[in-house]
Amino acid sequence: MEVRPNPTADNSSATPPHRPRHSSSKQPAASPNPVDTTSVSQRLQKELMSLMMSSGDLGVSAFPEGESIFTWIGTIEGGKGTMYEGLSYKLSLRFPVDYPFKPPQVKFETMCFHPNVDQFGNICLDILQDKWSSAYDCRTILLSIQSLLGEPNPESPLNSYAATLWNNKEDYRKMVQKQYFSGEAFES
Amino acid sequence: MEVSSSSAFNLGLLDTLTDDSLQEIVASYDGFCAATDALLNGAGDLSVGSEFVSHVHGLCKYGLDSLVRDHFLRALEETFQKNGAFKFWRHFDSYGNSSELQMKNHNIGEGEVQEVLCKALEEISTEKQYQEKCLLMLVHALQSFKDHGSEGSHNSDAERFHLFSKYQLLVSSVLMASLPRHFPEMLHWYFKERLEELSTIMAGEFDDDVEIQDNDDMGLDERSKGSYGAGKMEIDEYSVQGRFSENNKLVKNIGKVVRDLRNLGFTSMTEDAYASAIFLLLKAKVHDLAGDDYRSSVLESIKGWIQAVPLQFLHALLAYLGESTSYDDVSSGLKSPLASRPSSFYPGSEIPSEGLVRWQLRLEYFAYETLQDLRIAKLFEIIVDYPDSLPAIEDLKQCLEYTGQHSKLVESFITALRYRLLTAGASTNDILHQYVSTIKALRTIDPAGVFLEAVGEPIRDYLRGRKDTIKCIVTMLTDGSGGNSNISGNTGDSLLEELNRDEENQENTGLDDDFNTDDKQAWINAKRWEPDPVEADPLKGSRNRRKVDILGMIVGIIGSKDQLVNEYRVMLAEKLLNKSDYDIDTELRTLELLKAGSELGNTELPMDILDATIISSNFWPPIQDESLVIPQPVDQLLSDYAKRFHEIMTPRKLMWKKNLGAVKLELQFEDREMQFTVAPVHAAIIMKFQDQVSWTSKNLAAAIGVPVDVLNRRINFWISKGVLAESLGEDSNDNVFTLMEGMVDTGKNVGSSGACEDLVADDDGERSVASVEDQLRKEMTVYEKFIMGMLTNFGNMALDRIHNTLKMFCIADPSYDKTLQQLQSFLSGLVAEEKLELRDGMYSLKK
Repeated sequence: MEVRPNPTADNSSATPPHRPRHSSSKQPAASPNPVDTTSVSQRLQKELMSLMMSSGDLGVSAFPEGESIFTWIGTIEGGKGTMYEGLSYKLSLRFPVDYPFKPPQVKFETMCFHPNVDQFGNICLDILQDKWSSAYDCRTILLSIQSLLGEPNPESPLNSYAATLWNNKEDYRKMVQKQYFSGEAFES
Repeated sequence: MEVSSSSAFNLGLLDTLTDDSLQEIVASYDGFCAATDALLNGAGDLSVGSEFVSHVHGLCKYGLDSLVRDHFLRALEETFQKNGAFKFWRHFDSYGNSSELQMKNHNIGEGEVQEVLCKALEEISTEKQYQEKCLLMLVHALQSFKDHGSEGSHNSDAERFHLFSKYQLLVSSVLMASLPRHFPEMLHWYFKERLEELSTIMAGEFDDDVEIQDNDDMGLDERSKGSYGAGKMEIDEYSVQGRFSENNKLVKNIGKVVRDLRNLGFTSMTEDAYASAIFLLLKAKVHDLAGDDYRSSVLESIKGWIQAVPLQFLHALLAYLGESTSYDDVSSGLKSPLASRPSSFYPGSEIPSEGLVRWQLRLEYFAYETLQDLRIAKLFEIIVDYPDSLPAIEDLKQCLEYTGQHSKLVESFITALRYRLLTAGASTNDILHQYVSTIKALRTIDPAGVFLEAVGEPIRDYLRGRKDTIKCIVTMLTDGSGGNSNISGNTGDSLLEELNRDEENQENTGLDDDFNTDDKQAWINAKRWEPDPVEADPLKGSRNRRKVDILGMIVGIIGSKDQLVNEYRVMLAEKLLNKSDYDIDTELRTLELLKAGSELGNTELPMDILDATIISSNFWPPIQDESLVIPQPVDQLLSDYAKRFHEIMTPRKLMWKKNLGAVKLELQFEDREMQFTVAPVHAAIIMKFQDQVSWTSKNLAAAIGVPVDVLNRRINFWISKGVLAESLGEDSNDNVFTLMEGMVDTGKNVGSSGACEDLVADDDGERSVASVEDQLRKEMTVYEKFIMGMLTNFGNMALDRIHNTLKMFCIADPSYDKTLQQLQSFLSGLVAEEKLELRDGMYSLKK
C-alpha cells in the first residue's frame, strides 16, 4: 500500500476526482491507537458469514485471502445489461485495524476500463472515502462498486479517456473487453 | 540269448566248462523251458512237475539258478499278461466309454458292475492262484537242490519270500501298465452302490436305535455291532438280527472284493475308491439331514449316523480283512490324544483298532467340515432367523471348534453381507436388526468377539454412510414396545430388551474388573480363561476389553456419542411434548437403562446431561419456532395459569411455547361427534371454524398468525379427516375452506360418532423439534456456501487448502469440525451435483 501511487499525481490528464478528499493517508496512521483487534476480527467474521449466506446470486463475493482476516479478495460480476456483463473482476480489500470506523482500501486487481478506475485499479467512490459509514459492510461496498461499473460518474473521472468514450457504446465496449482480456493474458 | 547273458554272469565258470557239460546245460535249459511252458499254459496240468524239477536241478548244478528264476518269472509275466490281465480288462471294455454315462444314470446296469467285477476278480484270482502254485513248485525245486548240496543251512523262507514278492510286484505292474482309465471310476461306482445298499439297510436300524435310545444321552454307546442283542434290543431282536445277517453278507462280499483287489496290488486305489464313496455318502447324508432347517441341531444325528453306517461298515470290513486288531500296531505311539475318547463307544466289545479310530476321526472331521461349509454358506439366512436358528448356530460353533476355519466364515459372511444386506434397497432398520442378530449369533460362536470385529466392520462402515442411521438407532433404543408405527419390522428384539438383559447379566457375572474379587472368584476366572483365537488381532486388546457389548457396538456405528445423545434428546423432547399426562415412567426407565448401559459398556455416553433435560431450556434441543395465535379462551386460560405459576413460584415465570404440545379435541357436529389428539396449530385452525363456517386461506392464516403456506400444509389434516373442504376462491392463491357440517362423506375415513383418532405421529415431516438431520443439513449448507464463496474468489483450490480455510474462517455458529475425509466426501457430493469440478486435485466452480 506504500507503493501505491497518488492517482491524481499520476494521471496528469485527470481532473480532480469527484470526491477528491483522500483520507487514505490517514489509515496507516490510525494504528497507534490501541485497538481491540479481536472485536474487529469478530465483526469481519460476521460480515463474512452474512456475505457467504447471502451472496451468490448477487454477483458479488469476497473471502479472506491467506491467513489474515484483514485482507480479502473480492469478486464482482459485471451487471446484466451493462458494458461489463459476463466479465468477472477481482478486487483486493484491506481492512484497517480500526475498521469499521475507517473504510477498507479497495482496489481492482483485474484491469478495468472505467471512468472512475485508474490504470492501477484505484477506485474513486465516495463511500470508500469521505462518505464512509460504519454501517456499511463488505457486501454493500461490493454492491456499490458493482453498480458503479454500470453507472459511472463521468464528472470526476480518474480515466478521462474512458469518460470521453462513455457515450460511444461500441468503442467503449471494445476497450473494456480489450483491457479485460489483456490483463487476463498478463496475469496468466 | 539267455545263455550268453547268463554266461556273462558267470565268467569264471566258463573256463571250466567242457563240451559235455555244455551239452548238458543246453539240454537242461531246453527241457526247463519246455516244462515251464507246459506248466504255465497247461491249464492246471501239473504232470510235468517232476520233469520240471529235474531240469531245474540240472541247471542249478552249473550255478545257473538265477537264470532259472529270471526265465521263470519272465514266463510268468508273459502268461499273466496274456491269461490274466488281458482277460481281466476285457471284462470292463464295455464300460470304457459309457461308464460316465452310466454313472449318471443309476437305472442302467444296477448290480451289473458288481457282477462283472466279481466275475473278473474271481477269474483273475484263479489264474493268479494257479501261477502261485507253479511258483511254489519252483521254490520247492530250488529248495530241494539246495538241501541236497549244503544240508539245509539256507533259510527256505527267504527264497520263497523273495520270489513271491517279485511275483506280486510283477502282477501289479502288469495290471497297472495296462490299466484302463475308467477302472478307478468303476471301483468308485461299485463301492458307492454297495454302500448305498448298506446304508439303506442300516438306516432302518439306526432309526430304530434312535427311537429306542432317544432318552439316552450318550446314545451312541450301544449302537456298535458288538452289543446288539443285549438289553433293550430284545424288543425287535429278530428283525435286527435278520438285517444284521443280511448286511453281514453284504460286507463279506465287499470284503472279498477288497481283498481280491488288494491281492492284485490295487490296495491304495481300492481304499481311495471306498473312501471317496463313503465321503460322498456322508456328504449327501449331511446335506440331507441339515438341509435348510435351522431350528434343530443335526450334529448329534450326523455323528450317530457315522457310528451306525460307515464305521460299522469299516469295522466289519477291517475285521474281515483280518486287520481289526493288528492293523498299525507299531504306530500306537502316534495315537492322537483324541483317539482315547472314542474307545468308550465300544463297551463290551474289543477295543477298536487304530485304523478304525483313524477312520472315525477322518469321517467326523469331514462331517464337521461339510456341515460347517453348508452352514457358513447359509449363515446370512440363519442369522435372519436368529433366535429360532440357535441350534444351527450351536452346530456351527462346534464344527468350527473342530475345524478351526473361522476365517472361512468371516470371508464368506462378509461377501454375503455386501451382496445381500448392504445395498440401497435394504432399509436402515433392517440392516440394524440384522446387525444386532449378527452380534448375538456370532457372540455364541465366538464369545471373544474376534470375528465379530471383522464381520461388523463393513456393516458399521456402511451404516455410517446412511443419514437415518442415528434416528433408527435411537428409535430402537427407546421404543421398547414398538409403539412407533412407521418403524417397520419386529421390535421384538429391541435394543432396550438387550439393555435389560445386559443389566441382568452384569449382575450375575459382573465384578470382572473389580478389586474386591476374592480368591475364589479369581480362581474361577482363572479357570475360565481361554486363549484368544489365533486370528485375534493383538492390536485390538485382550478379550476382557473386547467384551461383546451390543450397545457399545451399535453406538460405535455413530462416530460421535454426542450425535447419539443429540438425537436422543430430540426424540425425548418429542415424546415429552406429545404427552398429555405426566406419566413419564417409560422414558425415565429408558434413560436409566441408557445410562446404565453407558457405564457398563465402556461406552461412556455423556448421559448425565440428560438428567436436567426437562427442567432447563439449555438441555432442550433447538425448538422450531412457529408463531401461533391461539384462540382467545385458551390463551386466557394459559395466561391465567402462567400468572398463578408466577405467584407461587416467584421469581420464576412460565413462558408458554404455544406451538408445542398436544391438544385433545372433541368436535361436535349435528350428526356426529369426533375426538382427536392434535398439535396446537391444528386445534387453533379448527377452533376458528366455531365462529365462522368458511374462511379464505389468507384470512385464516392471519387470524391464527401463521404464514399461508404453513396453514395450507397444516390444514390438510382436517381436509383428510373430512372435517373441512377446500374450494377455489376468487384468487388462485386464496382458497376457501368450509366446514363440512352434517355431511357424511363415505369417501373419507370418517368414523361414526366417537371415533378417536390419534394423529400426532402421522403428521408427516412436521416435527416440532429440529431433528439432528436438519441440524446437520443446516451445517452442511453453511459449509457449502463457504466453499462456493472461497472458490469464487480464489478460482481453484486443493482439498487441503479448502480444509484449512474452512477451519480458519468457518468458526461461527456451527464451527467447522469435520475431518479431511469427511470434507472430501462432501466435496465429491458437490462434484456429483455438478456444482464443483475436480481437476488435477484442484476444486473449482462448475461453469
